[in-house]
Amino acid sequence: MGLAGRAILAAALSMPILETARAETVPESAVISYKYLDYQESQLGEDRIGVKARAWSVLLPFAGDWSVQATYTKDAVSGASPRFWSKAAASMRDNREAKDISVTRYFSHDTLTIGASLSDENDYRSEGFSFAGTHSTEDKNTTFNYGFAVTNDDISSNGLQENKRKVDWALGITQILTSKDIVQLTVTDVQGKGYFTDPYKLFDLRPDSRHQNTAQVRWNHFIEGSDATLRLSYRYYTDSWSIKAHTLGVEYVQPLPGGWVLTPSLRVHDQSAAEFYVNPADFPWTATYSSLDQRLSAFGARTYGFKVSKTFDANWTVDVKYEKYLQRSGWRLFGQGSPDIDPFDAKMFQLGVSYRF
Amino acid sequence: MRGRTTKLSLLALAMLSASGCSLVQPVQPWEKGMLSRPEMTFETDRLDAAYTEHVYFSKEAASGGSGAGGGGCGCN
Repeated sequence: MGLAGRAILAAALSMPILETARAETVPESAVISYKYLDYQESQLGEDRIGVKARAWSVLLPFAGDWSVQATYTKDAVSGASPRFWSKAAASMRDNREAKDISVTRYFSHDTLTIGASLSDENDYRSEGFSFAGTHSTEDKNTTFNYGFAVTNDDISSNGLQENKRKVDWALGITQILTSKDIVQLTVTDVQGKGYFTDPYKLFDLRPDSRHQNTAQVRWNHFIEGSDATLRLSYRYYTDSWSIKAHTLGVEYVQPLPGGWVLTPSLRVHDQSAAEFYVNPADFPWTATYSSLDQRLSAFGARTYGFKVSKTFDANWTVDVKYEKYLQRSGWRLFGQGSPDIDPFDAKMFQLGVSYRF
Repeated sequence: MRGRTTKLSLLALAMLSASGCSLVQPVQPWEKGMLSRPEMTFETDRLDAAYTEHVYFSKEAASGGSGAGGGGCGCN
């Protein structure tokens, strides 16, 4: 209880994402998957928060035109609190459980999905409900995607009892351009109202609403000579806290004989600071809202990743992924980074197994 | 500014959708072999995506983009 970083990280892991790009046909087989995550962050050479998470997922087609997907995630967070301006003790430990389930009905040119989710920990309970669908044209070269979700969060820590609600909309279109190119454009709108302040940080007082918008384009290109696929993505983000961000992703998926697949990846992120973010050196400040949260500062970040997967007997797949995440105020692509921010690094290791039947 | 971004995005969506059948040469069913490969779809490894998205969610100010979030998240 009352541990720094919890609201930031512990609860954050494994929120179900209701992708608008769902399969438009009934899955051919059932899939059961397990994935382990080991996350460790560090600053100035010292280990900070670490997370070990385990997730199980099952996808099951049934009754011809239906499928059900369910995920269970359990994570354990421990380690030293974030470096600056925390109310918490130097070390922390926390556990969380999350569950989600969704059911999809498939029609000849449409799909409809409803889903529910629940996340529970000591001081935070979150419930969500979602609805999504797709509609494809007669030739199935164009697919329209839409999604709607509501979330209710109850926060109870340090004696406070607060609430936050969110309404999400997503609208997208997926277009086959050629026999080797497919693109997807998605816009989202999120309206949040309630308690956004981080109760574990000193001098943290945030507005009680947040309006977020994104526009994202993804493009997959098949390279015939090498059997490889290039996956590109770009997201523009803006919100009512005056944050603007650009995020670019590149993945190169290279299948090899014997069921092996190698996937190197690179992600580049750039963000401006929230209008109420204050530099530690500017203390004291007089504005109504303030936060020293490094996450709301201006910085650039890069992720270098490498994934290897191997399929056995067509049914079993084992994958391993390693990523290195680096955040630097001096790495902005557009504009200046926030001053007095220490470099932040994280390592992520994943091990997954899945079975088709 | 946000409103303008949304409008521009919706306009781009509308244009892409309107041009879907005219500017783009329709791909025939028998030409979709390469497109049916798992890595050519936008559904990636679900658990991998959930983990990495949430690490970014917890360490950066921007989030979302691919769809409507289904809740279950206790983060700011």
